[in-house]
Amino acid sequence: MNKPISGFSRRDALKLAGAAGIAGTLAVYPGRRSFASSTKEYTLNVEAGRIAVDGVSSNAILMGGSVPAPTMRWREGEEIVVYATNRLAVPTSIHWHGLLIEGVMDGAPGFNGYVAIQPGETYTYRFKLRQAGTYWYHSHSAMQEQQGMYGAIVIEPSGREPVRADRDYVVVLSDHTQEDPKRVLSNLKADAGYYNYGKRTLIDFFRDANRYGFNTALKDRMEWGDMRMDPTDLADVTGYTFLINGRGPRDNWTALFNPGERIRLRFINASAMSFFDVRIPGLPMTVFSADGQNVQPVRVDEFRFGVGETYDVIVLPRDDKAFTIFAEPVDRSGYARATLAPREGMEAVIPEQRPRTILSMADMGMAHGGMDHSSMTGMDHGSMAGGAMSGGAMGGMDHSKMGGAPMAGMDHGTMGHGGAAAEGGERRPFGWADASTPPGSKALDYADLKASTPNSDGREPNHEIEVRLTGIMERYMWNLNGRPFGKDEPIRVAYGDRVRLKFVNTTMMAHPMHLHGMFVELENGQTDRKPRKHVVVVPPGKTVSALLTANEPGDWPFHCHLIYHMEAGMMTRFIVEPKSA
Amino acid sequence: MSKTFPNLFRVSLLAGFTMTAAAGVAFASPGHGLPFGEPAKASQATRTVTITMRDNLYEPESLTVKSGEIVRFVLVNKGELLHEFNIGTAAMHAKHQEEMAMMMEHGMLTPTGMNHDMAKMDHSKMGGMNMGDMKHDDPNSVLVEPGKTAELVWKFTKPAELEFACNIPGHYESGMAGLIKFTK
Repeated sequence: MNKPISGFSRRDALKLAGAAGIAGTLAVYPGRRSFASSTKEYTLNVEAGRIAVDGVSSNAILMGGSVPAPTMRWREGEEIVVYATNRLAVPTSIHWHGLLIEGVMDGAPGFNGYVAIQPGETYTYRFKLRQAGTYWYHSHSAMQEQQGMYGAIVIEPSGREPVRADRDYVVVLSDHTQEDPKRVLSNLKADAGYYNYGKRTLIDFFRDANRYGFNTALKDRMEWGDMRMDPTDLADVTGYTFLINGRGPRDNWTALFNPGERIRLRFINASAMSFFDVRIPGLPMTVFSADGQNVQPVRVDEFRFGVGETYDVIVLPRDDKAFTIFAEPVDRSGYARATLAPREGMEAVIPEQRPRTILSMADMGMAHGGMDHSSMTGMDHGSMAGGAMSGGAMGGMDHSKMGGAPMAGMDHGTMGHGGAAAEGGERRPFGWADASTPPGSKALDYADLKASTPNSDGREPNHEIEVRLTGIMERYMWNLNGRPFGKDEPIRVAYGDRVRLKFVNTTMMAHPMHLHGMFVELENGQTDRKPRKHVVVVPPGKTVSALLTANEPGDWPFHCHLIYHMEAGMMTRFIVEPKSA
Repeated sequence: MSKTFPNLFRVSLLAGFTMTAAAGVAFASPGHGLPFGEPAKASQATRTVTITMRDNLYEPESLTVKSGEIVRFVLVNKGELLHEFNIGTAAMHAKHQEEMAMMMEHGMLTPTGMNHDMAKMDHSKMGGMNMGDMKHDDPNSVLVEPGKTAELVWKFTKPAELEFACNIPGHYESGMAGLIKFTK
């Protein structure tokens, strides 16, 4: 483990927390004996420290003495008390991501009457657990999660677990930078392409020209120029080291098993900025929970998840050998790696990294020319909602009518989209959604998620709220409906309202949209078993919708979970007005 | 079937079920049996075991039998999904899971039941599994739709490393499998 400088191991920190908890119960709440038996108390100190990743030491913010912070193991129905003490020189906060919780306990400064914890102060969180599953907790202040303020929450159900597992491991993915996040943000603001080391070059241009025809390649370039974005901008920050449970690829975090056992892996994307493609070569995964909510089991070979999302999977390794848990960010700028093994010290092959995709104009919602995106990525032009683009000249186009009609600038003879692979060259991934999943392998799709229990509210929405995801990449301006947080108009709904949230992504990046306080039901084609999510990934140029029953009064943060996007203003206030008396 | 699926599908289906047939041949012994046991008549049973199926687990989760014992299994599906009760080795289950996944993919099975419209398929090519009317021609297996009850009578002829399992995609992995222990 990344031993914190204080000399306390994670176990010690937990022990201390436990001891403090008992004392606290007796001293602080003597009158609440009836709760005492089901109350768990913790002390979480937030302090500056150092961690070592692959042998390299760097600054970090430790919560409970380690990165990640100690895993909270709770049980549905328990009352939890956490004393969070700020030992930093700046304000901090702890947010319980995915928990159904009273607003002031949610831990987002500036919302629900919650105020950031000032240096030297202690805030007492107290809440009762109304759910089970895998969640996480992290800072909601000043990009501190980027510096290590995140940890897992595991809540055992009051009834039966949805699966029977012999082993249960938390797998927390994150992205680590030695740089100060404030520095990263200012670099991005000065030049949004600052970290885009993979910018397309003149050589790329000639390669494209060879492959797709000069005009197509040129036209593609010109359009990207018009959009003031860059087609390789899959992630705007790179130079990260990718961690699993705080360990770098060389540290190789290892989970043990005996062949034949069922192993539950709780994947949490606790990164600041990274979408990951996750796989365990040789071991199919059965996904049975998404964002802590049970879904009907679906067997996959890989899945992609966005910042803030969680997936619980079960794997059944039958052989006495090691397996690599491999997670590549979509920009392929590195990888996180861990090992499942029957014994310590065993390793499996680390797979070759897959190629980095090139964003297509379809990712901008305008697949009107250039290369034939449809045959390369399986994108559905009919549902692309071209009308949603802000100010785009193509806004009024009806893509569904485009059928096989020849499009301007298209040169079928030279496109060779099917030929790229046939020629023996490596197939070139194209478009955000293209994870280079090999033929015959199954990647999880949102459409596969089907809640294990029927949705409780069958009402049709009484109103629809359109949320446009907007931004000007070049100036690193990210916002909602064209207005940054602070200059925005909050969303207001009445308690009990049934609402449809329609996310219209007008940008070229995918945004993991997170609503605090309530789950949304993703409209993914399921009828009465829509999966319940706390983060909804909206791919570039796409429209995604979700339903919501506004049954948690409060003013909740509603934001893109990419931390620098949120910091740049991609956030608003989602107000559920209380029931009038 | 042939109306809706291109030939390619049909080929892969047949290829898939050839495996079953081969497995059947390998294990087959006279009288429809397997090396560790065979189906029997309810009247011969000396013991009745009721197993409740839920989403996605069995109650009870394990079982003890004696060599030579004939057990009448009463399978009550109290879940909302289709479940299977299949007696076999872990390897047999693993193989059967691939077939089940294919049936699911091709719409012969749905998460909650059987596609009865597909009953007109040529079952003789399917390795003995009659998917249409849920007769378990595969003698060691029975499918039970939600809310339904089914029976399977089995003679455990000799000790083997057996599990009872549901091979519907994802269910076995989730833990819907139980050990069958032998006592003397």
